[in-house]
Amino acid sequence: MSPPPENAVAIEEVCLLAQTGVGDRDAFRQLYARYGVPLFSLAVRLVGNTGEAEELLQDAFVKIWRNAASYDSRKSRPFTWAVTILRRTCIDHLRKRRHQPGTTPLPADGEATLDCSTSENGRHATEIREDNDRLLGALAKVPPNQRRALELALFSEFTHSEIAQCLEQPVGTVKSWIRRGLLDLRTTLTDSAR
Amino acid sequence: MNPQLEELACLYVLDWLEASERASFEACLLHNPQLAALVGELESALAQRIHALAQLEPPAGLLAQIEARIDRLPAMVPPAPARRVTSLWPSLARWGIAALLAVGVGAMALQYLRRVPAAAKRPYVIIVGLDSRQSTLAELPMPKRSQDADACFIQLASLAERFWERPEDLPVKLRSTAEGGRGYALFDPASNQGFIAIRQLPAIEQGQRYHLWILDTASGQTREAGVLPLTDSNRGLYFFSVAPASEATPGRLDFFVTAEDTTASQSTRPRGKIVLGDKTVF
Repeated sequence: MSPPPENAVAIEEVCLLAQTGVGDRDAFRQLYARYGVPLFSLAVRLVGNTGEAEELLQDAFVKIWRNAASYDSRKSRPFTWAVTILRRTCIDHLRKRRHQPGTTPLPADGEATLDCSTSENGRHATEIREDNDRLLGALAKVPPNQRRALELALFSEFTHSEIAQCLEQPVGTVKSWIRRGLLDLRTTLTDSAR
Repeated sequence: MNPQLEELACLYVLDWLEASERASFEACLLHNPQLAALVGELESALAQRIHALAQLEPPAGLLAQIEARIDRLPAMVPPAPARRVTSLWPSLARWGIAALLAVGVGAMALQYLRRVPAAAKRPYVIIVGLDSRQSTLAELPMPKRSQDADACFIQLASLAERFWERPEDLPVKLRSTAEGGRGYALFDPASNQGFIAIRQLPAIEQGQRYHLWILDTASGQTREAGVLPLTDSNRGLYFFSVAPASEATPGRLDFFVTAEDTTASQSTRPRGKIVLGDKTVF
């Protein structure tokens, strides 16, 4: 049986979020069943260890429960909305962590360098196994600088200026790379789905 | 689509916009189907990227721990009925102030007339104070009008938000009435778009809905601007748009709200009681 169309899935999830917003615990559990794995995987990718990722996933789902009533389907898909909540939770945590005593403070602009290793390399302890051939193929078609900027934007806590510093490019160039990278990825994925 | 809007769409999906930029982008998103389609495609690409990460199962007991935390939360207070519409505005206001400064609206004089002249040479926005007895019109000159539809919308939305937050800045006075309704509307005759702010309305009767109308007093043409999505609070700030006027040079416009029966057949003319605006228009 072929999987349900993406729109049908999104509509189901909008309904689940609406039900969660009025306190339906079963709907919340169904959302967890759908989003638990990808969000946990994203959290591990962002923070680099499963222990912290578990805590942050808990925080994110509590926020999803508390904020489901304010979700507006005209502004984003449910999954994107949940990803945003998780990423903000992880990024807040990472930024606090690096400002704690005993950790290395961020270098001032123009000084030193940031640890910009990301995505395909070993920034995180977790072994990254990209098992989606279509996605890998699509990513391979995105020029390396655009791909790197996009991956940093997606999977790091760095600000615009920090990514620009990492890539030794002006912020405007980095934004442009991210835009082109995401648009290229979208185009390639759309084409390959046809 | 212009590259700037594309870039904003990408940054929006990646949650890279500042809160104020995000709010203004969302305001555009709600009224631009092409932009909404692009955002949907970008969201899909992003979701595929995340699903292509090595997929890790969270620990078996994690859901139970989450639910235990939820059980300890204070009871949730249901959101205010108008929140969905109005919650956008606080952040839009911050962006709006910047946008207003950028386009020079902040410098415009709050000059107004009691009645709008038949034709104005400069771009302007009509501001209408509405209460249960009368409407009071003012013309707010705009020093510059953008050619871009999104920019025009945002400019109008920013102005609406400004007056919502600071009604004392309105160039029309809102009468305080113990009973009856109170509100105001902003309308851009060039784009035929506007906002109506309802501060107070009587509770709607069963089987009725409030409709907003625009009347060209010269030609008598009435245009319906939509049904007010009011809930229990009868308070909120809403966007509307209307069909262009049939007259090339429309006369003075008037605005009013009626209570129409939902069971009545659809009509292009108001038939119900006027609850906001000048009761003598008909």
